[in-house]
Amino acid sequence: MSQNAKASRFSLILLALGFLFLYLPILILIVYSFNESKLVTVWAGFSTKWYAELFKDQQMIDAAVVSLKLAFATACAAVVLGTMAAMVMTRFRSFRGKTLFSALITAPLVMPEVITGLSMLLLFVSFADWFGIFEQRGVATMWVAHVTFTMAFVTVIISSRLSELDRSLEEAAMDLGANRLKVFFVITLPIIAPALLSGWLMAFTLSLDDLVISSFTSGPSSTTLPMKIFSSVRMGVSPKINALASLMIMLVSLAALVAWWSMWRSEKRRQRDMQLALQQN
Amino acid sequence: MNQSSQKATGSKPDKVKTDNYVRIEGLRKEFDGFVAVDDVSFSIRKGEIFALLGASGCGKSTLLRMLAGFERPTAGSILLDDEDIVGLAPFDRPINMMFQSYALFPHMSVEDNVAFGLKQDGMGKDEIQARVNEMLGLVQMGKLAKRKPHQLSGGQQQRVALARSLAKSPKLLLLDEPMGALDKKLRSQMQIELVNIVERLGVTCVMVTHDQEEAMTMAHRIAVMDAGRIRQLGTPDEIYEQPNCRFTAEFIGSVNLFEGRIEEDEKDYVTIRTPALEKPIYVGHGVTGYDGMSVAFAIRPEKIAISKDEPALSYNKVQGVIEEIAYFGSHSVYHVRLANGSKVLCNFVNLKRWASENFTWNDSVWLSWKDNAGVVLTS
Amino acid sequence: MNAVVKPRSARLLGSRWLVIAVPYLWLLVFFAIPLAIAFKISFSQAAIAMPPYTPIVNWVDGHPSLDIHLKNYLYLVNDSLYVNAYLSSIKIAVISTILCLLIGYPMAYAIARMPAATRNIALMLVILPSWTSFLIRIYAWIGILKNNGLLNNFLLWTGLIDQPLAIMHTPVAVYIGIVYAYLPFMVLPLYANLVKLDLRLLEAASDLGAKPWKAFLKVTLPLSKSGIIAGSMLVMIPVVGEFVIPEMLGGPDTLMIGRILWQEFFNNRDWPVASAVSIVMLLLLIIPIMIFHRAQSREMEGRLA
Repeated sequence: MSQNAKASRFSLILLALGFLFLYLPILILIVYSFNESKLVTVWAGFSTKWYAELFKDQQMIDAAVVSLKLAFATACAAVVLGTMAAMVMTRFRSFRGKTLFSALITAPLVMPEVITGLSMLLLFVSFADWFGIFEQRGVATMWVAHVTFTMAFVTVIISSRLSELDRSLEEAAMDLGANRLKVFFVITLPIIAPALLSGWLMAFTLSLDDLVISSFTSGPSSTTLPMKIFSSVRMGVSPKINALASLMIMLVSLAALVAWWSMWRSEKRRQRDMQLALQQN
Repeated sequence: MNQSSQKATGSKPDKVKTDNYVRIEGLRKEFDGFVAVDDVSFSIRKGEIFALLGASGCGKSTLLRMLAGFERPTAGSILLDDEDIVGLAPFDRPINMMFQSYALFPHMSVEDNVAFGLKQDGMGKDEIQARVNEMLGLVQMGKLAKRKPHQLSGGQQQRVALARSLAKSPKLLLLDEPMGALDKKLRSQMQIELVNIVERLGVTCVMVTHDQEEAMTMAHRIAVMDAGRIRQLGTPDEIYEQPNCRFTAEFIGSVNLFEGRIEEDEKDYVTIRTPALEKPIYVGHGVTGYDGMSVAFAIRPEKIAISKDEPALSYNKVQGVIEEIAYFGSHSVYHVRLANGSKVLCNFVNLKRWASENFTWNDSVWLSWKDNAGVVLTS
Repeated sequence: MNAVVKPRSARLLGSRWLVIAVPYLWLLVFFAIPLAIAFKISFSQAAIAMPPYTPIVNWVDGHPSLDIHLKNYLYLVNDSLYVNAYLSSIKIAVISTILCLLIGYPMAYAIARMPAATRNIALMLVILPSWTSFLIRIYAWIGILKNNGLLNNFLLWTGLIDQPLAIMHTPVAVYIGIVYAYLPFMVLPLYANLVKLDLRLLEAASDLGAKPWKAFLKVTLPLSKSGIIAGSMLVMIPVVGEFVIPEMLGGPDTLMIGRILWQEFFNNRDWPVASAVSIVMLLLLIIPIMIFHRAQSREMEGRLA
């Protein structure tokens, strides 16, 4: 069936081209982060001076620290709220207002960030006016905003895992005497743990990377890394950014590699166990 | 295997209590207008193995889930040992279930799986260990206590699931298609083992299955279900030899049905005129009916004798031609086409080697049966 | 025997409502109400005050009086800049979605057909770029697309052109940027859908005489409809309000409503107009959002139905 082979070869070629498209800018960034010259067009020799300059830039480092702390706090809260929302969507029977809830949970996935950012700022301003809270915008307001929009992504990841989970496991636990709360913490949670991690990482990344919402909801002393980068880039291309980008890419790739390797290993071990069990019978 | 049902029970009030250990009254379940369980009432004796048998969609699983507490009945009550359990959540009921997929907790070892229910009751550590060892010994899984479920074969997983469901000495054990996930050879072996264990412990058991063989082999009594209702309830032989309607007769095993009308209705015999036979069928017992009533005569294939020569009976014989032969080694099933076009199945046990060679396709044969070889069905 | 022991389920009824209430309230307060507030402020007027807009309700002699200005909306409708920006944003969003679909579908298809081990690696490779800073990757394109950037230098060097192509600060650059950033959002839902496709359906089709292309059109494509809708909505809706990409890669003639909103807010300090812009954007997107919601909730509730 050469036509079938041709078709799959066609899609594979497109896949390869797609990957090339996705990775070319990244590779270029990494290469030029080691370029002695400032210009992208001229290769003036290998140098790590931009990395050194990066680490000397205190503002950049401060912004990075703010971003990391914010992302960590966001991810933790998003996972908790997202898991609750996922449980409501997949395990709870219909209740009045469930449709509105499900709309509230899916809308942030697609809502343009300028709308969410602006409206949240207006909320904080109004709250300051009415209740006297959130007077000073800063990391706290950003955290609230980040949790709100990342929660939806976490919910999607966890609900997909929950709907795949065999219900009879939870029923068996109830049958054996565990109440619903216990079933969740002793049975459900350990089994969906990988999805929780996945959700946490997604929320972390989304928060770390966010520019628009952060810009609207930030305050004077809370500049995040993307905000700093954006203002730097506006002033002109700087190779320091290349160095920063390359660092982030290399760190992420390393983390991904480690994660993939450990998954591969545990899968191999699992296969081996199952083979053993079959043989022994 | 059915010894316990023949044991004598104590004094009358005790007998009533044990006869109605589980009492289901007017149980009904509706899903958005669809009636899954339609006003079902019956009782289960203490220590009995009771089977709910039926095709998919007949309501047996819904009934089981209502017993377990995973579905709330629309109406009706369930009394277990004189206690109404309908209002109790699954974790509050003295009932345990063995799931079709076994539902072993993948992140816990075999030991921890079996101990889970005991931990929920707040048992002491040593007590739990002793009980777990006891249960694992019962199902012969003691050596594999530290393994995780994915390291076990299907049969081993089933044993662990059984041990786990019996660990709390439940008043009622529920089995959801217990042999569904096993291959044929393992199935027959496990059926016997499971019944032995359950009988040894004296546990009252309700099982759900679509496999008639399983129900007939394992259960003391069977309830045949269809469209949310129980069509017949009785021991396996009662159901097989005395079906109460066409549905049950056709559902269990194979059966030949002759439709016809009662010609003579007497106290100790009836005759049925049917288009398939020249002379009316003679049935050697009375029937609650009347002359001209439309009935079906049901007779199982193994009750019909097949011969080359005309038998010396005046009734209950008919001539036909062998159309198809299904050869099973131990027996053959002859599909015989009668003069009026209807087909009759006849089982022939191959008692002598090569006995099946006597009959072949297109042979003209005589089928005959005794007076009480079949039953008359009025519905 | 039936003592008055309240079954544990009743005692825990409280916790069931808590699980619903916490995320529900959070989203109501921090997602829904802000939109309502934006709606309210869109009727207000810019003022030199803190906050920089006039209040809607004024208390005159103990009686509330409404101070509503419709002029923000009239301003939007009358000024061709805004109308053009909305239309242009929608146009760019639709075209980008189609481009993403054309590139993303074959990619998702190829990955879905791979053996399980390679599949996971390929998926990770698709997601990996999204884990690195979006901002920086867009910034990388500046270096590639500008007049003396890598692309032009490469083309000049090979002699394919003799004058640098002006890509930077044109709509083309914006399209490249959008497709680049949003491709994973198209690939992933498509992949999730295609990977569930039962290959035996295709075998049956070919057994009945359908050539591979026909089988694709009549079997695979219709069955992947929900993936196409999910992916398209995940790209189209956010792109309408996209700010960063047109800001960094686009020029003065690439009108996108996200940029307009940002400028109204940060540059003009006109919060009421910015609010009006966002409300109109929201209204334009309400139907696609509903389509997406329907597709998503069917996915999420999956087995419960």
